[in-house]
Amino acid sequence: MVQGIGGLTGETLFATLGQIIPLIIVVVIFILALEFALYNLLSKVFKLQNALAYTLLSPAAVAILVFMIYPLLFNVLLAFSDLKRDTFGCYSPVSVATCQLDHLYGLDYAIDNFTKVFFRIRDGQIVDWGRLLTTAGSTFPALLGRTVLWTFFNVIFHFTGGLALALILNQKIRLKGIYRSLIVIPWALPGVITFLTWKQEFHAQYGFVNILLGGFGIAPISWLDNPVYAFVAIVFVNVWLGIPFYMVMLLGGLQSISPEYYEAAQMDGAGAWQQFRFITMPLLRPILIPAVTLDVIWTFNKLDLIVVMTNGGPQEGTNILVSALYNAAFGTSATQRLGFASAFSIIIFVILFIFAIVWITTSGGLKEIYEK
Amino acid sequence: MSSLSETTSTRKRQSGLDWMQIRMILGGVIAVIGLVLALLSNEWGYLLGGVLLGLLAWKWQHGVLVAYSILSVFPVLRIIAISLRPTSALLSRTIEIIPANATLASYSSLFTEENFLLWVWQSLAITVTVSIIGVVVAATGAYAFSRWRFAGRRPGLIFLMTTQMIPAGMLIIPIYVIVAQLQLTNQIIGLVLAYITTAVPFSIWILKGYYDTIPPDLEEAAMVDGCNRMEAFYRIILPLSTPALSIVFLFNFLGAWAEFIVAKVILVSNNVWTWPLGLNDFIGNFNTDWGKYAAGSVLVTVPVLLLFMWQSKYLISGLTLGSVKS
Repeated sequence: MVQGIGGLTGETLFATLGQIIPLIIVVVIFILALEFALYNLLSKVFKLQNALAYTLLSPAAVAILVFMIYPLLFNVLLAFSDLKRDTFGCYSPVSVATCQLDHLYGLDYAIDNFTKVFFRIRDGQIVDWGRLLTTAGSTFPALLGRTVLWTFFNVIFHFTGGLALALILNQKIRLKGIYRSLIVIPWALPGVITFLTWKQEFHAQYGFVNILLGGFGIAPISWLDNPVYAFVAIVFVNVWLGIPFYMVMLLGGLQSISPEYYEAAQMDGAGAWQQFRFITMPLLRPILIPAVTLDVIWTFNKLDLIVVMTNGGPQEGTNILVSALYNAAFGTSATQRLGFASAFSIIIFVILFIFAIVWITTSGGLKEIYEK
Repeated sequence: MSSLSETTSTRKRQSGLDWMQIRMILGGVIAVIGLVLALLSNEWGYLLGGVLLGLLAWKWQHGVLVAYSILSVFPVLRIIAISLRPTSALLSRTIEIIPANATLASYSSLFTEENFLLWVWQSLAITVTVSIIGVVVAATGAYAFSRWRFAGRRPGLIFLMTTQMIPAGMLIIPIYVIVAQLQLTNQIIGLVLAYITTAVPFSIWILKGYYDTIPPDLEEAAMVDGCNRMEAFYRIILPLSTPALSIVFLFNFLGAWAEFIVAKVILVSNNVWTWPLGLNDFIGNFNTDWGKYAAGSVLVTVPVLLLFMWQSKYLISGLTLGSVKS
């Protein structure tokens, strides 16, 4: 059934290399040619002072332009389309023969897609909130509320857990290096394995969580079959996953605070809490604000954990905006409404973008980084 | 905080050694109770609980850190334990790390019944390519952001930050459609390019932060001695940036090594999968095979974990140096 050792034969080995090596060669030649041409153009023809800077940036800029900006613009175009599983042939350049649509892109599709994100329309009347998936629990406000809860709980627990560990590790304590190496392990574990292993630990009968709770006389809980418990379970896993990042960042911050501040505060009679409140926290701020900003964004967009652990179930209890988006686009339901999902993704991005602008301008946290 | 802990420890010393001794004895008693309970009931959980509680009573910092360390390595211990179980005991409720009748059957079945090695090979080829190209592209780009004040620098940096905000779905949908239109489904080229693009912005951020901490005088001195700018970069900045370069390499490596969502959309057929798709399939709804899953997990996790532990000093200093201003 399986050829070679674990599927690896000379043929399959070289098949992979045959794709990778030409790719590397093309990329290297492309980068060198681009830099050479651009540098000569900018410095000799335009006589720019910063020619070398633009040259050094150009490979990254081209990569981002072609593989990020272009797909994003294409995504906007898709929001103006009626792309779904049934109409995929229309949008493919190969087989246009079986197409039922009279036009591929249009404002009418866009209006339809964006309206459907929020409203359910029957006979020209808004009858209900729109369903992003098939079930009644997948309306936009429900998903947004759950996403906000999810982000809030995660960031709060990440921060308090990471700060507590960092404060303990910043004391004079033995075996500090070993503890630190062990505590950052969740960060190094491949995500899929983390999610699948924890999923198993929340198994009602064989999972370790229930075995442990059983030791305290608590009856087994069907964690992943109940919307509320499932939500608790995924929050727990993501908190476990995120604490090391905060611990490392905050420990670095604590170590950079000069002991003189504390000595001066002690001379003035400040207690431990006052030292923490008026010295530690303000001096951690430059690290904390970017860390929290990134964490909010990452948690808001945390897709893989939810897809692997619960896929949004049971009864949409663990679906947040991005996992609902993924399911709307690639889910098992027969529809695969990609045009609609594109419109939905743009709305998610706008929400996050507005949040980020408000947060960054009010906290002023990122100013120091780019103005340096 | 260090001075804070000094004062609390001197305060303890003033009140005599008795208090520490009392706590030590208390801790010892709790641990012994745990041992007795464990011997009586043959449940080793009691011993572990007793030792932890005793440690908590004696030196609470160590109690907290040991408990949290156990929680952190817990999944690794569990997959090792399950991978060694014989098929008949896969679904047992035991928590022993080395089970009774330990066997390597799950490991050998990966190589005789599944395309496991092929999946790992695919992942490895993709990951190494992505990491190397990503570091090269980001290293020079970050240098430009760090040393020049060119037009478009600030918007560029803000844009890089904004890319972190893009929901994965917003990129996967167009990438999926483009890949399908170009008929590149099941090809790893599309995957490599997608991974590089998502890795580059974060890499540039970290490297730029690190270059900022290296004084420009060093390159200027080298340029006075006759190096040109690029020589100064290669001979001075890059060697000094080894910690940051290794952290970026490792982050890109870890990110691509375990990527699941994009791979799932692009790689459809079994013989071009990367290992995350394969392992996920072992615990699909129809054929749950914990033994193979756990054995495969151990094989793909342990090398990465060793690499990470070996580099962790570098990693932590590299990450914080980029953000902590001295």
